[in-house]
Amino acid sequence: MIFGIPDFQILLGYGLSIGLALACIVYGLLYWNEGDGSNGS
Amino acid sequence: MAVDTLMMAVLVLIYLAATLVIGYLGYKKTKSSEDYLVAGRCSHPVIIALSYGATFISTSAIIGFGGQAANLGMGLIWLTVLNIGVGILLAFVLFGKKTREIGQRLSAVTFPDLMCKIYKSPLLQYIAGFIIVVSMPLYTAAILIGGARFIEPTLGISYTTSLILFALITAVYVVFGGLIAVMYTDAFQGTIMLIGMTVLLALTLITVGGFTAGCTALTNMADLVPKALSDQGMTGWTMMPELGSPIWFTVITTLVLGVGIGVLAQPQLVVRFMTAKDDKSLNRAILVGGPFILMMTGVAFTVGALSNVYFYQTSGRIAIDAAGGNVDAIMPLFINQAMPGIFVIIFMLTLLSAAMSTLSALYHAMGTALICDLWGRGRECALSMKAHQAGIVIMMVLSTILAFLLPINIIARATVMFMGLCACAFLPAFAVGVYAKAPSTKAALYSMVTGAVVWFIWTAFFHAAEAKPLGLCQALFGKVTLLGSPWTAVDPIVIGLPISLIVMVVMQWQIGKAQPSAAAA
Repeated sequence: MIFGIPDFQILLGYGLSIGLALACIVYGLLYWNEGDGSNGS
Repeated sequence: MAVDTLMMAVLVLIYLAATLVIGYLGYKKTKSSEDYLVAGRCSHPVIIALSYGATFISTSAIIGFGGQAANLGMGLIWLTVLNIGVGILLAFVLFGKKTREIGQRLSAVTFPDLMCKIYKSPLLQYIAGFIIVVSMPLYTAAILIGGARFIEPTLGISYTTSLILFALITAVYVVFGGLIAVMYTDAFQGTIMLIGMTVLLALTLITVGGFTAGCTALTNMADLVPKALSDQGMTGWTMMPELGSPIWFTVITTLVLGVGIGVLAQPQLVVRFMTAKDDKSLNRAILVGGPFILMMTGVAFTVGALSNVYFYQTSGRIAIDAAGGNVDAIMPLFINQAMPGIFVIIFMLTLLSAAMSTLSALYHAMGTALICDLWGRGRECALSMKAHQAGIVIMMVLSTILAFLLPINIIARATVMFMGLCACAFLPAFAVGVYAKAPSTKAALYSMVTGAVVWFIWTAFFHAAEAKPLGLCQALFGKVTLLGSPWTAVDPIVIGLPISLIVMVVMQWQIGKAQPSAAAA
């Protein structure tokens, strides 16, 4: 049992939620200056 | 906790005044039809992200789905996974950039207009516009009901007055300021939502002794799961329901998939992509959008589930019992009982922000669909600002009338229904449209109509949650649903979306295969 949660599926859900939010931050930083101009990257 | 009602009323009025002032700034910046319809195609990334997020998250996500997490447990966290993974990452990276680029190239101003220009089919624009004008008032009415139910006790005015006031105040800045005013106010409201949900999480964790202590206590309460729920597959609030059980189908197909996938093809969200100047703006918006959604739905579902610990420790009852069996009442009751008075006010402003940001986007999408896509399609007047203002007023009035006719417990159900219909009708045609080199008009038409029809049939004749109140199946066949369990718990999106997708892909492939041979002949 991790963090008081016995079900791995729930833990995985929390892990993915936080991981995906972090992935959004990383994506935004990595591509911060890409895609300039009005007709796509 | 006792709340100073005078202070609450004053703060709500200050909030409303600030919203109107920001809306006025948007009105001053609106000079052309393009400003009114797609915010001049040059929105700031942070405004795009907050507007998209605040439009996406309504009171339903916080109150309705937070209450569902209190009732059915933490399995709803999988909806947050889809909200961020599908609703933000996939939506912005795969669909957002293509939508922006095509929308700009073809000068599309609404979702149906985009579909029409991609497929070169006015009929497609009529059908998409018709689906929006017919179905979106249901979702809008649900948001109105949620907002009015909050305003009624907060300002001490009647439900009828609350509903009319809420509809009018929101309509004022949408009608005059168009999408710029909508997105400016969304950003302001999104910021309030972010503050409110952050404080809610912190105070809840303090109340239950921290995340691990709270979850441990919740795990130990598994034997308190009501018999009616345990008989249907619920095993505890920190456990997923039994695979294939009725509750598993409800959590996974209706709540997680229905809303998680449905978000991809919502017209009022797709338009946000067309307001970006370039892909760089969308890349930067992703950075804000992901954490924003995590702090909205992730917090609502965690707090909802953990509210059981608070209620059990303070009153010896689980959340649903403490709320008298009303799922929608759990979150407000928890806030009122467990939080300091000042936070009750902050949370009320959070809810008002969530409701107004979604409502304003829906007004704009419905009004523009009525004028640009149905009444004035192909005519010069379809881009007239005055015509769109009239369209928004008409749709606002219709939605308000509908809100008075619908039952007040419709909020979460109407949200799921609208998102499911959007996914079934629009998603395959939208996805193929923005990616295929030669998208087939015929395939898109068949897919859209098939998706909408199958969604309706499943809703009216198979899915018990809607078939029962609609009563159509009962009237025609003498029984509530045509099939028994587990089909009665399977959400329409699970049936409608694959069928719509198959129709789209097969027809696109067949037509694509026929075209080269026709050319060769």
